[in-house]
Order: sequence, then structure tokens, then C-alpha cells
Amino acid sequence: MSARFVPVPTPETGTYWEKAAEGELWLPRCDSCGRAVFYPRSFCPHCHGDDLTWFRASGRGVVESFIINHNPAPGYEQDAPYVIALIMLEEGVRLTTNLLGVEQTPDAVRIGLPVEVVFEQRDGIALPQFRVITGDGASG
Amino acid sequence: MKGARQATVVGVGYSSVHREIGVDTRPLVVDACLGALHDAGLTTSQIDAVFEYPGAGSQIAVNVQRLLGIPDLRAFGDLGGSGPSGLAAAMAAVAAVESGVCDVALVFRSVNREWGQQSGRTEVPPAGNAAQFTLPYGDFGGIIPSIGMKKYRRLAELGGSEEDYGHITLNARQWSAMYERGVLTQPLTMDDYLSSRFIAEPLRLLDCDYPVTGACAAIITTAERARDLAGAAVTVDSVAFGTGSRPDWTFSDDFVFGGTIGCAQHLWATSSVTPAEVDVAELYDGFTHITISWVEALGLCGIGEFGDWVDGGKRIGPGGALPLNTNGGQLASGRLHGLSFLTEAVQQLRGDCGPRQVPGARVAVVANAHGPQCGAMVLTRT
Ligand SMILES: [Zn+2]
Repeated sequence: MSARFVPVPTPETGTYWEKAAEGELWLPRCDSCGRAVFYPRSFCPHCHGDDLTWFRASGRGVVESFIINHNPAPGYEQDAPYVIALIMLEEGVRLTTNLLGVEQTPDAVRIGLPVEVVFEQRDGIALPQFRVITGDGASG
Repeated sequence: MKGARQATVVGVGYSSVHREIGVDTRPLVVDACLGALHDAGLTTSQIDAVFEYPGAGSQIAVNVQRLLGIPDLRAFGDLGGSGPSGLAAAMAAVAAVESGVCDVALVFRSVNREWGQQSGRTEVPPAGNAAQFTLPYGDFGGIIPSIGMKKYRRLAELGGSEEDYGHITLNARQWSAMYERGVLTQPLTMDDYLSSRFIAEPLRLLDCDYPVTGACAAIITTAERARDLAGAAVTVDSVAFGTGSRPDWTFSDDFVFGGTIGCAQHLWATSSVTPAEVDVAELYDGFTHITISWVEALGLCGIGEFGDWVDGGKRIGPGGALPLNTNGGQLASGRLHGLSFLTEAVQQLRGDCGPRQVPGARVAVVANAHGPQCGAMVLTRT
């Protein structure tokens, strides 16, 4: 079985991965228009502002959409079928994730489910992942 | 009406279509191009422009110029990667002909089955740049995961059922059975569709088009030149591109429809006809989600109304009020990657379609691709 992909940080994304290693989800925000930016880059894709400031994101969002992937990527052969979800963060950006701690079925996963970030350790990188917020864990 | 420089389509041609791998596309491109020239009553020396959409299995424009022995070109282009699939070549030819840069443009698309099969098995890149935020999650396989997510999102936002998607696939098989170049011609039942295996659930195998090796071609020239030619000319009534805002397959503002809605608005704004006047629709079906998006974006029915509108498939099938993908599309007649929707529309408007002919067809709408790569055309014959 081949290994799962490990992210290769680039200069614009270094802070994202450094903060992930500390167990926190950080994003750049544009000083000019105030919008969060994902994925991290050197300028604002909304207004072209050059000044971006990193901030700690809520780590909470909802499932915007998802698939249950039956055509596994390298390293996922034993886990297929597995969920790939698109999360809409409270900060208004979409990001890709797996969904942890939930059956990988369309009965268990639904669009609109609230989720929160957790971190998976993989070959020296802390990878942001999301899990469904259930019961007591659900917060405002 | 643009007068003498009004673009028209005066010929179409096809190669044979192959399901095996390892087929050389060069003789197929030549066959398709010579077929289109013959259909138009033109010789190679009368061509002064070549446009194509490149990719694995294709030949760049000047290679085809050389293969055909065209003495020189006033315009050419290889319009690949980010445009509206094979229709991109025809859209460029229309612009070039109407501007006066050239008079007689040959457009083609050739593909091989190997390319079609790669979509779910892209090469393994390092997970750098934007891929560092997708590949580590096993998000692998080109646009397939994104298309699956769009299908779920559409069902959640607009309602409808899996059967809505199934009707696109079943319809393709009805038409391919009447098409001499049909590839998958066995009829399907809704149970067949609903039991086909998931690729990226909710995306099923039968939501995906069928990879083949082959080529098709068309000739575009002015209405003035067309009057001297033997073949019946079809008028290019309007052309539109569309990207949508923040164009991207995942991060675009309109996740479900991509650029289709804006493209359709531009198309009708410059057309001499209305959606209600469309007799036949040839709408990209690389994935069934794309076809449904175009039906609604083009205003053939309201947004979210496809399921009622399609009427169990009756509306879009043979004898229906709005025949759709009358050569079986790419789902059933193979992925010639977009240009075959144009060539089929031209044949329908000329009345050349034998058993699958839509009686009295005078207005056709053609659309290609989705997401940030949309393109569409209205064709008329008076
Ligand atoms: Zn900004």
C-alpha cells in the first residue's frame, strides 16, 4: 500500500502549517477588505490588497457538500469508500477535508452538519481535519 | 444580423470511433477533416485557418495543416486547457471569420481513449501549491470529486432526485440506438442506472461519459462564401463564453452552476431567437450534472425545475417536445470532447439525421463544459 500524500508547504503557506503543528487553524485576512483568504497566498484574491494578517480561525463550519469516494487515492485503499467534504468555515472560506468520527455513509453525513477542526499527525505534519459536532460538543 | 461576414457552418466530418487503446489519431484527424471539406464542397487549398482544442491524442493546428497539405494559414490556434472543450475551436473560428482575419476556417477535435481514462487516474504529483490542501485528503481524480459534490449540493439546495440524473443517461441510449456512430447502444432501465457503481458517491459510473478514440471536424465561413457552396449552410446566430465570478471548479461563487447561468444570459442577449424557440438541444454530458445545469441555465426550464420538466424522459427523447443530445452525446456515443455537439446540431438543422431527425428543426442550442470553462452557441437555419 502506498503512503498518503503529505503536504509540501510553500512560502505563502508556511504559517498555516506551523500553526497547525501547534494545534490551531490560522488563516490570512486582508487588511484592506477584511475578508479571510483560503488557500493562503501573497495577496488578496478579492481586492488585490498586498497586506494580509494571519489570525486564528474559529475552526468551526458546516458541510457545504461531500462525496463518498469509491476510487481511492494512494494511501486510502484500505479506507475506501471514504468521505471527502467541502467545509464552509464561519469565516466564509471553503476548504477540503475528510470527516472523522462519523460513519462514511450518506445516512450519517449530510450537507449542513456542523463540524470542527481536529489535527491528524502524518509524517511530521499536523493536518487539519474536521469532525462532526454532536450533542454536548456542539457549541454556538 | 452581421451581413456578409455572418459566420456559418458549411460542413461537418467524422472519423471512425474506437474503443480500444493504442490507436494513432493522425489518420483519424485527416479522415474527419477531409470529410468536412468534402461535405462543404471545398478543397484543402481553400482553407485559410485552422483551430483546434489540443490534448492527448490531438494534433496541433499546423500539424494538420501539413498533413492535409494546406499551403498557408491566415489564422490558427490551439485553444486548450481552460476553454469550453472542443467548442472552443469553433468559437474562435467564428470570431476570426466575422472579424475578417480569415475566410474559411477548419476546426477539429481529436482525442484518444487513454486521455479519457486518465480523468480518474491523474499522475501522482507532489502535494504542493494548491494541491497541498486537497491531495492529502485523498481528493484525487481531476474534477470528479468536485462534480460529485456539485450533484449532492444541487439535490440539497434545489431538491429533485437521482432519477433526474438517470433520465439524462437513459435518454442518451435511446438516441444512440438510432445513430450510425453510436457506441453504447443497449437500452438502459432506471434500475440499471440506480444500481450502477459509485465513483464518487453520489456520482455513478453511468453519470460519466465514455472514453473513445476518434475525431470530428467542421468548416466555418461567411454567409457570402456559403452561397457559392453545394452544402446547406447553418447560421451561427450567437456565441457566448462564461466563467462566473471567482472562476474555479471548487472555489467559484456559484458552486452548483459554475459559469453556465451567466454564459446563457450573454448567449440569449445577442441571439435573434428565444429559449422558447429552440427545437433541439445538444448540451455537454461529460457528467450528467453538467447537462442538467445547462438545461436550467439556458432557461429551457426554470432553475430547480428539471425533474418535473423532463417528464420521465419523454420531453427530451425521440418525439419529445425538446429532443436532447440526439446522437447519444458522449454518454452513449463516446467522448469526442465537445465538438460533436456542434456537428450534430448542424446535421439536425440540415435535416441529415435519418431515423433520429427532429422534424422541422430550425433552431438549435449547443453548450460545452461547466465550472469556469463555459461556452455556448445558438444555430439557426431559415
Ligand atoms: Zn482584500
